[in-house]
Amino acid sequence: MIKALLRIVARRLFAIVPVFAVVTVLVFAALRILPVDPAQMSLPPSATIEQVEAKREEMGLNKPIWQQYALWARRAVAGDLGESAQYRMPTAKGVLERLPATIELAMCALVFAVVVGVAGGILLFTVRGTALESLGMALTSVVMALPDFLLALLFILVFGVMLPLFPVNGRLDPGLEVPSHTGFLLLDSLLTGDVSIVASAISHIALPVMALGLAFSPTIVRVLHSSLINTYQQSYIRQARLRGLSDREILFGQALKNAILPVVILVGTQFGGLFGGTLLVEMIFSFPGLGNLMVKAMQTADLSVIMAIALIYCAVTLLFNSLADAAAYLLNPKLRTA
Amino acid sequence: MMRIWSWLSDPGLVIGGAIAGLVLACAVCAPWLAPYHPNDQDLLYILAPPVWAPDGAAEHLLGTDSLGRDTLSRLIFGARTAMEVAVAASFGAMALGAVLAHLAGYFGGRVDWLISRLVEIWLSFPPVVLSMLLIIGLGVGTDKVILAIVLVDWTRFCRVLRSEVQVVRGQDYVSFARLVGFAHMRVIVREIFPATLPMLITLFSLQMGISVVVEAILSFVAMGVPADVPAWGQMIADARINMFDAPWGLALPILAIFVTVLSFNLFGDGLRRVLDPRHRANGHV
Repeated sequence: MIKALLRIVARRLFAIVPVFAVVTVLVFAALRILPVDPAQMSLPPSATIEQVEAKREEMGLNKPIWQQYALWARRAVAGDLGESAQYRMPTAKGVLERLPATIELAMCALVFAVVVGVAGGILLFTVRGTALESLGMALTSVVMALPDFLLALLFILVFGVMLPLFPVNGRLDPGLEVPSHTGFLLLDSLLTGDVSIVASAISHIALPVMALGLAFSPTIVRVLHSSLINTYQQSYIRQARLRGLSDREILFGQALKNAILPVVILVGTQFGGLFGGTLLVEMIFSFPGLGNLMVKAMQTADLSVIMAIALIYCAVTLLFNSLADAAAYLLNPKLRTA
Repeated sequence: MMRIWSWLSDPGLVIGGAIAGLVLACAVCAPWLAPYHPNDQDLLYILAPPVWAPDGAAEHLLGTDSLGRDTLSRLIFGARTAMEVAVAASFGAMALGAVLAHLAGYFGGRVDWLISRLVEIWLSFPPVVLSMLLIIGLGVGTDKVILAIVLVDWTRFCRVLRSEVQVVRGQDYVSFARLVGFAHMRVIVREIFPATLPMLITLFSLQMGISVVVEAILSFVAMGVPADVPAWGQMIADARINMFDAPWGLALPILAIFVTVLSFNLFGDGLRRVLDPRHRANGHV
């Protein structure tokens, strides 16, 4: 059983590889079409034409594009993602430094979205047929019309300007210092054992997490709500009722386990939306993660950074999709035989 | 007649349709509705609050921005930009997605494999990342924003419609059409396309809302329409700098985007309820 499951997960992960390879080709080609000379950009403006030409030679820009790609791929596999024209440092280093912040933000937001979404879905289902259900549905429509970056701005307006409850900038209060062990600030601040540092870290990440998570949650609410309604039309629910199980036992013991499957699939396929949302939300909250770096790199055409971050976003999205696929597989025995 | 009556009894459809129609009307009639030219600067009123606030002035009903430009006029012209982009982009995404979905769903086999892999590759990009990457490649401009949205969001149509086409293709009347000797093209256009049209219209309305958001995102990060074209995202970006002094400047364009997206979502959900036979069979909930 365990072996079979591992095989399923491994197969899903393996299926990513060709897709990701095509993605790297596409991103590489898209960025090479640009009327920007990476060689010139990586040198100071005072560089002579000879120096630029030498740099072009060094970067392989005079070769045909497929050879450039091969060169890039070979270096990338070895961990060399080029040099950031804007920061004059290895791209890989700059990107890896900021990766944990974004992962931390996205994961907290996902947990927030799932908790709010599942609780909301169950709540909405338990009041089915009443006016409260229509009210709840209307509420999901309202939140669905507020994408993450608008929620972020609204939160700043409400909790930052009108009644300043939360900080709206960065990851920590100025002056606080946390030694980096894992790169994940929440973990690192817990390791310090200092309550004020932990509180500062949590209060800084609260609004970005809520903006990203809340934007995703109404979709979960709706999917779970309709999935529960479908599940309750199955005969085993009626049988459970005949056996004298209470409403609570039926819902949490029987129905939810089956009704959650579409939610798992939804989270897998829609995770890219939440993850991509970090771009703007990080920028709005000056949160020093990948998304913030990406927006800056895009505005300054810092090609190697754009390429690296775009590929990380794609890789994480793909990884998440296939893990959700595998989880759906685990939850639903019917899929296993297919 | 019965049908129209049931349409009018769906509150989401009516309210959503009414507001969406109003936004579209604002967009079309912007030059006549707006009290000022959107880029005119009134240096006597800089960061003026709306008329209901303590220092509000009747000259500028919704106040002005940091350059003294009339917020109401910019909102109305912003609606024009948003609708121009949303209609064109949603239509383009629908056309591209629908054609590929019909080809994939109808022919199956290698065509289906190829188009499905294409969708799979596209879906591995977070949509925001892909649209910004495309803008970097294409450059800034209203037409570029439209093209970027088309190239990102065709998958939304393709994925849903492909399985719809597969279902329709299995119907007896489609097989009969083939047996009678209709060419593939004719079967797709005359027999299958009409059956997927209700779904297409619903998705179009939902895509309108998505396009409005993407346009706002791109102009918010200065990667959207040119700087002299008023856009809601750009108004947000401008107002963010002065949000402590002039919170209304930030709140109003957010409200405009929210109301517009909400109306198209309500309209789309309403359309789904009245057009989808599976929903109709269940009756109104």
